[in-house]
Amino acid sequence: MAPITRDSILRVFAVEIDKITKAFQSVTAVAGLSLAVPEGAVYGFIGPNGSGKSTTMRMIANIIHPDSGTIRVFGQERSGTRSSKIGYLPEERGVYRKMRVRSLLEFHGKLRGGRSVTAEVNAWLDRLGLAHCAEQKVETLSKGMSQKVQFIATVVPEPKLLILDEPFTGLDPVSADSIRSAILEMRSRGCTVILSTHDMGVAESLCDSIFMIFRGKKMLDGTLDSIQSSYGSDTIRVEVEGGAAGLGNLPGIEKVKDLGQVQELRMAEACDPQRVLQTLITRTRIVSFSVVKPSLHDIFVRIAGPQPEEAPVE
Amino acid sequence: MNRILLIAKRDYLQIVQSRAYLVGLILLPVLVGGGFLAVTLTNRGSAKDQRVAIIDRTGVSTPAVIQAWEESTRKAAIANPTTGLRTMPRFTFEEVKPEPDRASQLLALSDRVRNGELFLVMDIPSSALRPTDGPQREPVRYYSNATGLDQSIFSLPAAVNDGLRRVRLAQLGVDQARVPGVLREVPLQSMNLLARDPATGKIAQGEKKNPLQAGVVPFFLVYLLIMVVLFGSAPQLGAIAEDKMQRVFEMLLTSASSFELMMGKVLAALGASLTSSTLYILAGMLALAGMAMFGLAPLHVLPWFFVYLIADVAMLSAVGVALGSSCGTPQDAQHLAFVLFIPTLIPMFMITSIMQQPNGVFATAMSFVPPFTPVIMLMRQALPNGVPWWQPWVGLVGVILWAVAVVWAAARIFRIGILSQGKAPKLSELAQWVVRD
Repeated sequence: MAPITRDSILRVFAVEIDKITKAFQSVTAVAGLSLAVPEGAVYGFIGPNGSGKSTTMRMIANIIHPDSGTIRVFGQERSGTRSSKIGYLPEERGVYRKMRVRSLLEFHGKLRGGRSVTAEVNAWLDRLGLAHCAEQKVETLSKGMSQKVQFIATVVPEPKLLILDEPFTGLDPVSADSIRSAILEMRSRGCTVILSTHDMGVAESLCDSIFMIFRGKKMLDGTLDSIQSSYGSDTIRVEVEGGAAGLGNLPGIEKVKDLGQVQELRMAEACDPQRVLQTLITRTRIVSFSVVKPSLHDIFVRIAGPQPEEAPVE
Repeated sequence: MNRILLIAKRDYLQIVQSRAYLVGLILLPVLVGGGFLAVTLTNRGSAKDQRVAIIDRTGVSTPAVIQAWEESTRKAAIANPTTGLRTMPRFTFEEVKPEPDRASQLLALSDRVRNGELFLVMDIPSSALRPTDGPQREPVRYYSNATGLDQSIFSLPAAVNDGLRRVRLAQLGVDQARVPGVLREVPLQSMNLLARDPATGKIAQGEKKNPLQAGVVPFFLVYLLIMVVLFGSAPQLGAIAEDKMQRVFEMLLTSASSFELMMGKVLAALGASLTSSTLYILAGMLALAGMAMFGLAPLHVLPWFFVYLIADVAMLSAVGVALGSSCGTPQDAQHLAFVLFIPTLIPMFMITSIMQQPNGVFATAMSFVPPFTPVIMLMRQALPNGVPWWQPWVGLVGVILWAVAVVWAAARIFRIGILSQGKAPKLSELAQWVVRD
């Protein structure tokens, strides 16, 4: 957890979630969750499938309501009212396929903003390279293009809070890059972005803060650095001749993870990396050896793997 | 409200520009017109020369029966005065002597009917000139392939009896020259009831009851209401299920509430129904004007037609939207279509009895049952003598209250249905959704 400072006290939050719980019949999707998303941040939601990410996002977007607890967006409690300040891209994509691209975008923009959005639509079509298919029916577009169209439908008229549920799923690298730069551009204009992803690389590189939910409960919340620091430098990354075969029964090593060319060794508490290095020298030829913080991927697997470990925060 | 109108506009344009709507718009009059055409063609089909065999067991009745039949068919419109096409067949007759083996003779004649050589075989019993009143009296039997709806045999009972009466009168010594005058029919004219004009106090003369006005025009008006309501509401089922399958709702729900979404869709269905019904009514008016029969147009009930249409489409399309939202696929939705059709189809089956006794207890009571009011009250209003002035208003209050309740319940189902996944719920589960918070 990030330390409480004067800056953080004065910070304005775009979203404040206080002890919300949501159950679907006998399944509790979200249990007593609290979270504060600062304005202007890109907040990454991570967690395995079915952990409660989408349910939380839907509650923030006011599509479903918590059974208990409160959600405030820009200081106002959500109570069934729709707001033009929020753009929401659901995980399960869908638009009216028979409509023409421009008509569809103007319909969505006008529905949310209550005004004509022709200029914004044109600008976004140019920005994402879709101007040439503005008059085509959505059903004629490729999957990637239609996802870009849906992204534009989410961002016109310009929202102050953008909620994107797995925005990069199914996109080729070029399309993913264009959406990524669009998200960063939105942030630079002051928009707060909440996005969920299964790509830990995206979470590490794009998000200012990361929130992990598992079985409906918050497991991680903070900047990447603070999360990694809470785990400490407990990982040795080595590249040795012979690969993982020569890394068994090392003193103080709990777990060996073979990544192919490189192996990661998880140290037990009080393990001395110098001893590990000395032992390795006697066994094999070392190409590289470094003590690192655990990657987000590694932390994710530790929490949500087959034998989950307790997270150091919440 | 703006969001409702925006959704309604988008959906309305999608409906009226769809191929299904345009085809349906043309198909309805084609189906109705096709029915008339089929009847006309059937009648034309029977307009060829027909041969009738008569076995006369009285030995004296054949000439009189033939004469009476020829006179009756001559009186009927054998040819359409406008087109000149024959609508009734020209008959020729063949007298057959009775044989001792009656069954074999009738079998042989029946075979000739089957071969198309004869149209009809008539067997006049010997007792035909001295019929009794008791149940034992023997009928004049006729054997043919004609259906009960064949116009060419409509006049047969009257003609045969007319012929037999002539013979009986002759046997009583009545001068044959005076017989046609004795048997001549006097026309009967059905009239509308007289009423006092509430404004002037004068008695308004009852006008001639036109059979078209009495039955056909009200029937078509109600038929149009039923068809437009079904064509307007039923597609919502599949369309909503398809939208749900294509996952369009979740995104829309950030911009509009589930109630706004549903009302937008209901308004769109209403707009499409009003468009098609207005077109049909205008076309019907033009057709009546073209046939110099504009007076038959039931102008006084047209405002009620549109009021009932609006109420009925609002109710049924709201139910259609709600049921469609609870289904995972358009195929699931089709299985629930009967729920939508029931309130419209039940009164349709009552139309005949309503037309027979429009102001009877049954018709009056049924016209106050809100789901049935639009069809039954409109039918009663459109019939010549109408209904007491207060009945449509009381019926309308019931319909409005019912429509509000149905739309409310539909909105409760819709808000859960559009986000539900998995197999379609049972009707009992839908009922639970209505009361769930």
